[in-house]
Amino acid sequence: MSVIYDHFERHSHGEGLKGRTTHYCPGCGHGLVHRDLAEVIEALGIQDQTVLVSPVGCSVFAYYYFDVGNTQAAHGRAPAVAIGHKRANPNSIVISYQGDGDLASIGLAETISTAQMGIPITVIFINNAIYGMTGGQLAPTTLMGQKTSTSPEGRTTDMGMPLRMAELIAQLDGPVYVERVALYDTKHRIKAKKAIEKALRIQVEGRGYSFIEILSECPTHLKMNPTETEAWVKECMEPVFPLGVKKDIVVEPWWDAAQTPNFDPDKVLAVMGADQEAPTRHAKGFPLHLGGQDISFKLAGSGGDGAQTAALLLARTAINEGFDATNIPSYGPESRGGTSYADVHIAEHEVLNPAAPNPMVLVAFNAPSLTKFAPTVREGGVIIYDSTVIEDLSTLPPLAPGIRMVGVPLTQLAMGLERPMVKNIVALGAIQAVTQVFPPETFLSTIRMVLKDKPALLPLNEAAFAAGLRHATLTPA
Amino acid sequence: MAMPTSTRPKPLLEAEYCKGCLRCIDSCAKDCITQGEHVHPGTGMIPVILDLENCNGCQLCIQACPEPYGLRPQVVPESGSGEFELEDPASLFGPRASHLQEPVDHPGREVPISARQPLMLKGTYASAIGAILAGCRHVFGYPITPSTEGAELMAKILPKLDGAFVQAVSEVATVNMMYGCAGAGLPCMTFTSSPGFSLMLEGISYMIGAELPGVFVNIMRGGPGLGNIAPEQADIKLACRGLGHGNTQGIVLAPATPQEMLDLTRLAFDLSFRYRNPVVILGDGYLGQMAGVVRLPDTLTQPGLPAWAVWGDQEHRRNLISSILITEVDLEAHNIHLNAKYAEIEKQEQRAELYRCEDADIILVACNTPAGTAKGAVEAMRAEGMKVGLFRPITLWPFPIDAFKPLLSHAKRIVVVEASPGQLQDELRLALSKADLDHPPISSVQRYGGKLPEQVEIEARILKDFQLMKDARMMEEVKA
Repeated sequence: MSVIYDHFERHSHGEGLKGRTTHYCPGCGHGLVHRDLAEVIEALGIQDQTVLVSPVGCSVFAYYYFDVGNTQAAHGRAPAVAIGHKRANPNSIVISYQGDGDLASIGLAETISTAQMGIPITVIFINNAIYGMTGGQLAPTTLMGQKTSTSPEGRTTDMGMPLRMAELIAQLDGPVYVERVALYDTKHRIKAKKAIEKALRIQVEGRGYSFIEILSECPTHLKMNPTETEAWVKECMEPVFPLGVKKDIVVEPWWDAAQTPNFDPDKVLAVMGADQEAPTRHAKGFPLHLGGQDISFKLAGSGGDGAQTAALLLARTAINEGFDATNIPSYGPESRGGTSYADVHIAEHEVLNPAAPNPMVLVAFNAPSLTKFAPTVREGGVIIYDSTVIEDLSTLPPLAPGIRMVGVPLTQLAMGLERPMVKNIVALGAIQAVTQVFPPETFLSTIRMVLKDKPALLPLNEAAFAAGLRHATLTPA
Repeated sequence: MAMPTSTRPKPLLEAEYCKGCLRCIDSCAKDCITQGEHVHPGTGMIPVILDLENCNGCQLCIQACPEPYGLRPQVVPESGSGEFELEDPASLFGPRASHLQEPVDHPGREVPISARQPLMLKGTYASAIGAILAGCRHVFGYPITPSTEGAELMAKILPKLDGAFVQAVSEVATVNMMYGCAGAGLPCMTFTSSPGFSLMLEGISYMIGAELPGVFVNIMRGGPGLGNIAPEQADIKLACRGLGHGNTQGIVLAPATPQEMLDLTRLAFDLSFRYRNPVVILGDGYLGQMAGVVRLPDTLTQPGLPAWAVWGDQEHRRNLISSILITEVDLEAHNIHLNAKYAEIEKQEQRAELYRCEDADIILVACNTPAGTAKGAVEAMRAEGMKVGLFRPITLWPFPIDAFKPLLSHAKRIVVVEASPGQLQDELRLALSKADLDHPPISSVQRYGGKLPEQVEIEARILKDFQLMKDARMMEEVKA
């Protein structure tokens, strides 16, 4: 068998008999499945494509034997590892070989979710109704009444009843082929090998996910000789785990085994939305008249007021003028319903501290925001508020000296354009008019840049900006 | 009576490979196989006995034998007596597990990209873009606030680049998909946040054991437990001292700006492949959300395929990805190998930014967003004539103690500013202690639970420390 190594050098360094014998106990079903699997891999001519994922369990050392690419996974995670391999190299043939503890207990979430993904991998599931590697404990597939070292008086219903994995997997939409087979006599061994071959063929043809459950013998932990174990599988296991095809649907080949990732620089830059052209600069210099080389803004409203978008546009405008800028949104439950605010810094050289606990400019879209943040505005600062929704300023807490309050009916102006949602762009126009932070052309080119894929929205947004600008220019502070 | 003749070879059994399980006996319709009676001196097993006089070569016994080299077909010589001849032991026990040649490294390449305008990106996006430029086309993840935007951007971009974003059933599955993808030799990553990072630690330990590369972006949020989704820095201990079970270490990078999220993500891929080890990028929730100017590099990386990959082709067929070393001496040797790798990383990969530290009496130590706030405090204090500087570790493990050491000649106080109950300070203290360095008093500004230290708090601490410095000087003068 060319798919089984000539010499098991990974088995205790291949010393002595271990170079040619498996680590399995006499009569263990794993050896039979290994033989079948190796012969099928050879027959299908896929030895050089195959990646075998060994699980945790007695077959943890499956990689001792198979002359294919080998990966050994954490307990229960073999199908996730298999997905990683298959996604990395879609042309590889990936086999997840697992026992009942690995597949049906600790790895149940991975088992179900990868089956449902339907990605062409092949799962070989060895069900021998008991934990082997750890020494004969209760498995999810242990039979009712069966004595194990952790069910010494026999399995009872409160330990959970035996899990029928093939049936469970078969009722999912993802898999295309699910069968349960056995190894207890010649006839069934022939069927088992055929099932393995079919499962792998389905993967080779790119048709989808396949799952073969194999009822297997564990003479050691069932405390029987191998022949008695074969009889036990037939007489006790098979009635609980009926053999046969559980799902077999015809799916046309769909998996693209030839897909390779794209590294074309133009394509990469295009998907990132990186522009080649420098935006035109309109400002004469940094707006030092606003009080220094680093100016902080806070835009606050309730979720949906568009404060976050306006903040982003403001920061982007500064960047388009060649300055540094940062924008931090507040987020979390508070932003869904309560006050949503964003801090923006623009700096001539570098923003040092991106937070704005004491902003130079506050834009308040509603009364709670104004009440909360107006007292934090620094001396000589500016507050722009939506005078459509904030009429009464008498309840405001005391402010720092020298603050300019400008009320602009943001909502009303936006309603005038029949789109209340553009009140944030109206606010941007007002910011320009009141603070003269950058020329109107810079703001407009930022708006055009952001909307370059949605040109239909441009006239509305330009009109909104103009409305805010015009109104604020006319409003006395 | 004439015996039926068959062209199929009869079975051969070398007694030492028979474990005496007897599963072959029932499979033989001709009753050629019987239970043995004598214990084999080499194995302690009782092999079966073959009497092939009636054998018709049906080979069903071979199919019933669980041992690959138990019952197998006789090799019939092309000429000669027709009797089985012993194989040459040299060919029986081949020199290697696989006869294939050693695979070689297929190096990647740097592809120039044309000049582009800077982008305005939030931290998680910048990291995603950095990964794309580093050649990562496989991202696995599970949604968790406040890191999810990175995954969302990848889900949008990767299909256009013939890559894959896979949303796994959990963080546990995520890290194991990464284990598989990295095992195939490709760059892969995930975006997660504190509780998700906890879940990935088991898999990270496996990746370290199996020496697999991979990049973990952990946008830290408030804890412990479900905590909240506001920024914190309380996973420093986990990343620096607790990457899963066993003898584990990984490089931990702490960006402070969206630009660094991009730059350090690119670096993380490079380092993770160079050392065959996972790399962790720790950001705080603020940094993940903060948008800033991001300039693109001059090149992008088209990854190659390392010699050790389990790719699923002939060249790499002999490879194995595994963290099991069942023999104690093997596992000890592996740990010694890992320790040498960790020592090399500690020597080569320390990174830090020193901001106005040259003459500073007070050195602030901070990373991530608090480093920006601390920088603001440095400027404010300098404007008042106080000599304050900021030491910003960019690698938290290894802690950049080599760059810190010279500051000890003039620093009179150290203030660690962090959004954690002293985890960064612990890293500093451990590094000072391991390097056997005397150091001035260390004080701290700490906030927890989603609050970041504010600039006024840092400034207040600095003023207090200057007072303490003055008091100490006066005490010395009095003594003198």
